[in-house]
Amino acid sequence: MIRLRGVSLVYPNGTRALDDVDLEIEKGSFVFLVGHSGTGKSSLLKLMYREELPSGGEVYVDNIRVDTLRRGKVPKLRRNIGVVFQDFKLLSHKTVWENVAFALQVTGTRTKDVMRMVPRALDLVGLSHKSRMFPSELSGGEQQRTAIARALVGNPKILLCDEPTGNLDPSNTTEIMELLQRINLKGTTVVVATHNQAVVDRMRRRVVRLEHGRILHDDERGYYFRGLGQTAVLPG
Amino acid sequence: MDLGRLRFFLGEVLANFTRNAGMQFTAIGTVAVTIVLLGAFLYVRETIQTFGAGVLSQIEIAVYLKDDVDDAKAKDLASKLARDPRVASASYVPKKDGLKRMKDVLGRDFDTSLLTANPLPNTYKVRVKDPDSVPNVAAWIGKDRRVAKTDYAADTVQKLLKTAGVLGRVGIALILLLSISAAIVISNTIRLTVFARRREIAIMQLVGATNMYIRMPFIAEGMLAGVLGSAVAIGVLALAEHQVVPKLATTLAFVTFRVNETMLCVELLAVGAAVGLIASWLSVGRHLRA
Repeated sequence: MIRLRGVSLVYPNGTRALDDVDLEIEKGSFVFLVGHSGTGKSSLLKLMYREELPSGGEVYVDNIRVDTLRRGKVPKLRRNIGVVFQDFKLLSHKTVWENVAFALQVTGTRTKDVMRMVPRALDLVGLSHKSRMFPSELSGGEQQRTAIARALVGNPKILLCDEPTGNLDPSNTTEIMELLQRINLKGTTVVVATHNQAVVDRMRRRVVRLEHGRILHDDERGYYFRGLGQTAVLPG
Repeated sequence: MDLGRLRFFLGEVLANFTRNAGMQFTAIGTVAVTIVLLGAFLYVRETIQTFGAGVLSQIEIAVYLKDDVDDAKAKDLASKLARDPRVASASYVPKKDGLKRMKDVLGRDFDTSLLTANPLPNTYKVRVKDPDSVPNVAAWIGKDRRVAKTDYAADTVQKLLKTAGVLGRVGIALILLLSISAAIVISNTIRLTVFARRREIAIMQLVGATNMYIRMPFIAEGMLAGVLGSAVAIGVLALAEHQVVPKLATTLAFVTFRVNETMLCVELLAVGAAVGLIASWLSVGRHLRA
């Protein structure tokens, strides 16, 4: 589903964000990208939805080469990828419903389809009863669920999450991670960049650890710190 | 586009327009000032042109015939003149009528008793359709061997034509200059609104809206500002016309203030819309490429 070959990314100021990264993510899988801040997790996600272009190497998403994609074709790629951020990026003057519908409306979806798809997305994240509320009236977890509904309303094949629980307390964090897992079970490929050790260690999914722009280790059913994970979860 | 989509689009434009009301007022105000100046200029220009055209259309070419040309030969010349497409009318003034007319004009100051013969030639008074062609038509008639001399108010015609030409060029330059200044203000306003809405734009780009789609509301907004500015300007101009023109009309009785107001309004609205369109197109485009 997602394939990076020898990808490097050097920012104009000379910072080397990624260095010769090879990564393959299967269709329908759930992957954590972990590491300290500034190790290239966000950069890696940005390459996938073509917010950044690599300085070298190749990026494929759904068998489309992304790094050489014409500017005019980017919108079509983006409709196939949902993206969720730490700061939710909701529009404060729009209700929950309007925020979710916005993603469909600005991509020219017919009103009939908007009316059908928005309730389904809100139902999935469990916010049907709060659809008329504004983001400021919601908890952090509910705001993030709104953002997830917006990311998913167009039925993308891939969901990219950049620190989705970074602004949330532990109970909201659990709630969001369970939601992401449910979404993954429905067949969506989910990639989560995080430095929340508890979340990663509890979920036991594939863990790709980045350090200084390189992949340090890549484990199926892994832990945040290779080898330390078991001791970390034993008491639980 | 179905009705719901249209409503969403118009709702977005309107919501954004009112949300940035302060900035929009500035843009509308600037457009209004520009369009008032432009409209006043066009009004004055059209008045002068109408006045000039009125004067020009009354200019006659006096065609003096040679003395040996009799009435029959003069009629030949009349039909030759009438066939020419540039000629509007040609009226024949035989010498005796000419003398009578002179007597009427000069009255008692003119003593005909001293004259033993009529010194006036037979004359054609020729009017042309296009005032520009007066010199050419006069020269053409002058070449006919039955014609002794042609005469017209050469200086007046040339000066009026020159003035009209200069006015036209100054007008075009002024229109361009004013439009550019209005475009710059609208463009700045749209840049501010683009900046104020960078979150929305970022989200639109993220969920896969095309640049064309992102651009459209801003362009509609720019055009709306342009059209509203023009509308305000038209109101101001209408008021000014209502107040000022009746006073001027008494002082400048020889000038007719008859301007095609509908046409002028359409022109001003079109200029406002075009300026808004171009300005917003350019300023959003720059943001989207960044």
